[in-house]
Amino acid sequence: MLARRLLIRPHSLPFSHSRASSGLTRHKYDVIVVGGGHAGTEAAAAAARVGAETLLITQKIQTIGALSCNPSLGGVGKGQLVREVDALDGLMGRAGDWAGVHFSMLNHSKGPAVWGPRAQLDRRRYREFIQSELLSSPRLTVVEGSVEKMLVSEPHPDKPGKHRVTGVRMAGMEEAILCSSVVLTTGTFLSGSLFMGQTTSPGGRMGDPPSCAGLSHTLREVLGLTVGRLRTGTPPRIVKETVDLSLATVQPPDKRPTPFSYINTRTHCPPEEQLPCYLTHTTPGVERVVRESLHLNCHIQEDAKGPRYCPSIESRVMRFPGRRHQVWLEPEGLTSDLLYPQGLSMTMPPDVQLRLLREIPALARAEMRTPGYGVQYDFVCPTQLFPSLQLKNTQGLFLAGQINGTTGYEEAAAQGLWAGVNAGRLAASLPLLSLSRTESYIGVLIDDLVSRGVTEPYRMFTSRAEFRTSLRPDNADLRLTPKGFEEAGCVSAERYGEALRVREGLKGGLAALQSVCMSSTRWREMLALTCISETKSATMSAEDILKYKDISFEMLASAIPEVFSPYLEFAHRLKIEVLYYSHCERQKREMGRIQEEESLLLPQDLDYLSLPASLSQEVREILDRVRPDTLGAAARLPGMTPAAIVHLLNYVTKAPRRGRNADRGSTDSATKQTWSKGMRGNAQQTNIVSLQ
Amino acid sequence: MNYVIGEMRRASTFLASTLRYRTIKRLTNGGPDSAGETIFALSSGQGKCGVAVIRVSGPASALALRALTGSRQSFPTPRKAFLRNIIHPHSEEMLDRGLVLWFPGPRSFTGEDSAELHIHGGPAVINGVLEALGSLPSLRPAEAGEFTRRAFHAGKLDLTEVEGLGDLIHAETEAQRRQALRQMAGDLGRLYHDWSQRLTRCLAHVEAFIDFSEDELIEDGVLNQVDESLSQLVGEIEGHLSDERKGERLRSGVQVVIAGATNAGKSSLLNLLCQRPAAIVSPVAGTTRDVVETCVDIGGFPILLSDTAGLRDTQDTVEIEGVRRARERVQQADLALVVVDSSQLPRDPRHVAASLGGQLAEVLSGQASQRCLLVLNKSDLLSEEQSRGIQSALRESGDLPQACLLSCHTDSGVNGFLSVLKNAVQILCGDPLVGGPSLTQARHRAHLLECVRSLAQYRQYRDLDLALAAEGVRLALIGLGRITGRVGAEEILDIIFRDFCIGK
Repeated sequence: MLARRLLIRPHSLPFSHSRASSGLTRHKYDVIVVGGGHAGTEAAAAAARVGAETLLITQKIQTIGALSCNPSLGGVGKGQLVREVDALDGLMGRAGDWAGVHFSMLNHSKGPAVWGPRAQLDRRRYREFIQSELLSSPRLTVVEGSVEKMLVSEPHPDKPGKHRVTGVRMAGMEEAILCSSVVLTTGTFLSGSLFMGQTTSPGGRMGDPPSCAGLSHTLREVLGLTVGRLRTGTPPRIVKETVDLSLATVQPPDKRPTPFSYINTRTHCPPEEQLPCYLTHTTPGVERVVRESLHLNCHIQEDAKGPRYCPSIESRVMRFPGRRHQVWLEPEGLTSDLLYPQGLSMTMPPDVQLRLLREIPALARAEMRTPGYGVQYDFVCPTQLFPSLQLKNTQGLFLAGQINGTTGYEEAAAQGLWAGVNAGRLAASLPLLSLSRTESYIGVLIDDLVSRGVTEPYRMFTSRAEFRTSLRPDNADLRLTPKGFEEAGCVSAERYGEALRVREGLKGGLAALQSVCMSSTRWREMLALTCISETKSATMSAEDILKYKDISFEMLASAIPEVFSPYLEFAHRLKIEVLYYSHCERQKREMGRIQEEESLLLPQDLDYLSLPASLSQEVREILDRVRPDTLGAAARLPGMTPAAIVHLLNYVTKAPRRGRNADRGSTDSATKQTWSKGMRGNAQQTNIVSLQ
Repeated sequence: MNYVIGEMRRASTFLASTLRYRTIKRLTNGGPDSAGETIFALSSGQGKCGVAVIRVSGPASALALRALTGSRQSFPTPRKAFLRNIIHPHSEEMLDRGLVLWFPGPRSFTGEDSAELHIHGGPAVINGVLEALGSLPSLRPAEAGEFTRRAFHAGKLDLTEVEGLGDLIHAETEAQRRQALRQMAGDLGRLYHDWSQRLTRCLAHVEAFIDFSEDELIEDGVLNQVDESLSQLVGEIEGHLSDERKGERLRSGVQVVIAGATNAGKSSLLNLLCQRPAAIVSPVAGTTRDVVETCVDIGGFPILLSDTAGLRDTQDTVEIEGVRRARERVQQADLALVVVDSSQLPRDPRHVAASLGGQLAEVLSGQASQRCLLVLNKSDLLSEEQSRGIQSALRESGDLPQACLLSCHTDSGVNGFLSVLKNAVQILCGDPLVGGPSLTQARHRAHLLECVRSLAQYRQYRDLDLALAAEGVRLALIGLGRITGRVGAEEILDIIFRDFCIGK
């Protein structure tokens, strides 16, 4: 299947502009997506997939799918997100396979649950793939322009919220464009400012005009949302031929590249054409330059919160002085003459940046193409969102990506996809859906955002997922693809069929493994094994045998081909399933408990401060501040007590009752019940895929 | 598997429920904790009371009830009270005799299979039964409010009931919190917190290694350091668990030995304490030649009292053996009551302390660490002046154990001695705080054991699969967190970013 796709795609890529130039095709769309970054593109594509007439508004079609910062995708934790986006039929995984020029599986020695598929990308190829996908999507229109204003009206009286979004007005256009839902994915452009040395200028990305002033106004003044400020930065780009790569350590890609997408069996770039990365280190000279130039560096002096895990070289040497810091020199593409120095994000004046670079031996004669710079931008505190990524106070308005306080392409894409799915469903009057943290990293990401908020740019780590050994990169298709087709409607029938085939295959393979039982002596003889201890005389199943480190499914298949060879295709995945099977079974109960609690919605209008229940003032304040959406979210809040949870339990179910008795009719409670039914149904079907 | 449980849950006969247990066991590969999630707790109020109710809920309830009532007694019919011997499933020792009730799901408080044990309200009995339940695989102590939550999820609770129960749990957890605070302020609290911090740091370092070592300079030695810290930690927790015999003391009784020279009145003291002539008393020295044991209840605590042969040099082979056993018993005892004939003490008060010190050393065979009380018997034979002299000598001497002057003959001073003894036993049995202190400890023990078990998973998977190894540390931290408070993902990340320079 992959081969077919890959053969077709190169010819389809140049079509790009035919549809874009046609401009607006109507005055009312189901969904309007503002922003063409990773969140926006996934949102637009997902909304179109669920059947919504979708309009994507972006400043420049040329920058759709641009990788504004590092030219790489995936990694530990982030790789899981890419796999999940792919399992829900998103673009990112396939785009990565198309554009990757250096694939490596991180953490290969640490257990399959924490493997991190990653690739260095060719920027141009990535952009082209995304643009070609979007511009050839049915039901999706792409126009250039900037949104000046969001149209907001009275809310639907029977749904939660104070406002309702009805459309947008674009700059230079008389007529408003109407819609049922809007997905805002404006990244760092919300009141963004760029910093370099002592100069600042408005904007969200170097080279693009500032925008979103009108949107900022709507969000703050009209909708009254709480916003915060964050900062990030990007390193200078270096001219490759001025770098002495012989002074750096070569990091070759994996010999057998692993694609991101479940429907690809190989990557577009053949292994032999892939490019290496290079590793070098900072020197004491780098630290000296940073210290000497601090007074010229206003980005560093500002107090907006920067990420702790992607800090600029300035904050790294300030926080950990006297150390050698790693610098990765990454290719920017097959034909690019630039290198991206990962780890050297900096905001000092350009001449100082060059001086700093040249303190590193491999870069002693390096030339910069573009200097590094910092960005500060507004984000909307994500606790104001439902788990569907719709704003609590504005019907039809969804936010995704950096605007919610996250960092990273993968985090943005994951939210974009989910916001797009729900924006499309809202337009079709379907119940909105949420993903549980027991079934996906996307669920963990969104739950963390909406129930805890952020204090620094949020990035995914595997340690955030409490069910990490169940939420593996190898099984995202089993976890999400069936649900994506059956419930969300964002997965193609073709992909769904493939996921079912794989699920049946794995089920069959596992049953086969459990069916073959022999004495350990027999196994030893049959497989010429030394790893099974002599003293073990009990009967062992093939499943037990496959748990041994040195045993592969292929070995079993060659020993007993009549039983196992039909499942050879799944050899790799069966080995992983067997390793984790008993642990995942054990986690299921805990998952069940969390899902039960997540299925119990807390009414949004609950007045925690005056709730007639014996809650401590401290607990009331926590609840009032965070306003958790579900009992599960409430239970995870720091400072909650078991007693408070019991009282909330009470209210969860009392709420519809009160509604029914209230004078103003039953509409309010009816909606809540529908909502709660939708969500509850969702949570109940959200069982982690079991092979048993 | 869920289907099977669901189906079986609807069945309500005993037969079905025992069958179910087997089914679950088979389906989950029989791992001891994989069937999990059967909970138990003391459901009646804290503190001393006539009858205490212990409630068990979850799929293994039938198994628990069967295990605690033994296979020889018939299994109770649903929702009827039966008088049963409650026995310890491992030692088969009888813990109590009480009413048991069996509520197969869904017609139970929680909607799950449940059982109730109505037992005697003394802390020893309660703790004995709780500990017995905790020793069963797949049973664990309930968290606060857990029964209610389960009941609620099963649709079993009327809303007003929830409200009321919420208040109740609130009160209970408030009390628990205060109690925990009091305990936590002490050495034990410091110890647990220290463990928790070290464990958190270990987990943070493993997590850092998983999430960042591919790109960052995370020293290769990080995991080796973790290995070392964890094995040290396991050693300390295991030591703590084996040291801490208080729970066992409560179950099997505090071992109190009466020892001293011949004819000091040891057997009289025994008879006085058990209020019956358990031992032969005569004025002939060496009447008691073997160890005489009897059980008594002092202030609600069970005491295994042993009277021993008087210590003296003798040629009689039987008596030699008796003296040997007496010395052995003194060494094994939790508490020694060293009985001294006060009428034989030096007349000069200045020599009393030295004389008592000498006799003590002789009885305890130089074991200075042995907990003991001095019982100065036969005060009726003393003149007023003598007893005043002895008492002032006792007050002035700093290094003698607590001493009581009494007369087994006239009962004078016995009440004072009883309260001293009760205090000593209470300290041995657990925290002297009111409100089921040792209950908390039973919970602590379960969580600490869980912690140690989980850390074994780290060792098992350390080189095979770091994700599973980290899972072990995480579970251990959750176990410890049930005592010291939860540690969330953010705290782990805080440590990672503090200890490592993460720059990608």
